[in-house]
Amino acid sequence: MATSDPKTEHEHPAATRYYLVWAALLAGTLLTFLLSRVHLPSPFHLLVAIAIASAKSVLVVLFFMHLWDHGGANRLVFVTSIFFVVLLIGLVVLDNATRFELANPGRGATLDLVPPGPDLLGPRETPVPSRRVDMPEPAKDLLRAPEP
Amino acid sequence: MQPEAYVAHHFPNLRQQEHAARLGMWLFLATEILLFGGLFTAYSVYRFLYPLAFEEGSRHLSVTAGTVNTVVLITSSLTAALAHHLVEKRRSRAAALCLAITILFALVFLGIKAWEWTHDFEEGFLPGRYFASAEFTTTGAPMFFTLYFLLTGLHGLHVVVGMTVLAVLGVLTWRGRYDHGYVTPVELGAMYWHLVDLIWIFLYPLLYLI
Repeated sequence: MATSDPKTEHEHPAATRYYLVWAALLAGTLLTFLLSRVHLPSPFHLLVAIAIASAKSVLVVLFFMHLWDHGGANRLVFVTSIFFVVLLIGLVVLDNATRFELANPGRGATLDLVPPGPDLLGPRETPVPSRRVDMPEPAKDLLRAPEP
Repeated sequence: MQPEAYVAHHFPNLRQQEHAARLGMWLFLATEILLFGGLFTAYSVYRFLYPLAFEEGSRHLSVTAGTVNTVVLITSSLTAALAHHLVEKRRSRAAALCLAITILFALVFLGIKAWEWTHDFEEGFLPGRYFASAEFTTTGAPMFFTLYFLLTGLHGLHVVVGMTVLAVLGVLTWRGRYDHGYVTPVELGAMYWHLVDLIWIFLYPLLYLI
């Protein structure tokens, strides 16, 4: 064997295991494809897709990447990285989900909402070059304007 | 040559050296997961903000190409795992052939991806402000394609890097470099390839099957 330790024998499983994992991954791909055609109601559509993808990746990580055989620190490193990705995605989406609606762009509700007070969101006139503050002459007009 | 000849002077034995190399690889793969995690976060936020654009955008992608690519990548992951298995059994020539098949699958994957991108470019589905599609005008449409190109682009870059690693390993395996019981480089190279597969397993439903 590769090392003098006879215990490492069990680290080389039979190739049948790889074929079984491969078949399971193909079945998962078929399942997620078929379920996406069914049009489940809104949150379940995404949740089911994520669940199947997670199950497939668990198979890949455990058997193709040998986390089943090699535990300890290797598992800790992998789980930690996944934990922080989930934390990042979860908190950032939560931030967006709990904002005042007008602070988020592009949502249907945002576009239909009538803003309170004067119409600040209406189209404004484009700035005329002659009214730019850094140009010497019109700058005086701007200063004079608010006086009356 | 004995496997012990591969032990670096700062390791007491080969077993410990293999464990250290594996842990180092996992640490590297963790940084890769966090790298993609940033893009997946951007994807989540913009999908939350523009659900309609993402739903419609995925309908403009070819589900057939995405599904075929998933099957191709999963099968290439199998051949990479078999290569590692065979090299452990001292069947180096068969292992090198498995690595070559893996690279062939990777080429098929990139070919399909190139065909998809060409199609997108012709339709005007370009990232950011270069987006120029007459019929897909939902708010947030350019954001979907920006993220589509960033995610598949970064993933494609990893495919190219993985192919390079596997090609080098394949040549060395064919020449009999790993005949003596030291197979850690093949194991780690295969692990990198499985990570590429892992990322795609999530990209497929998130981009093609909304």
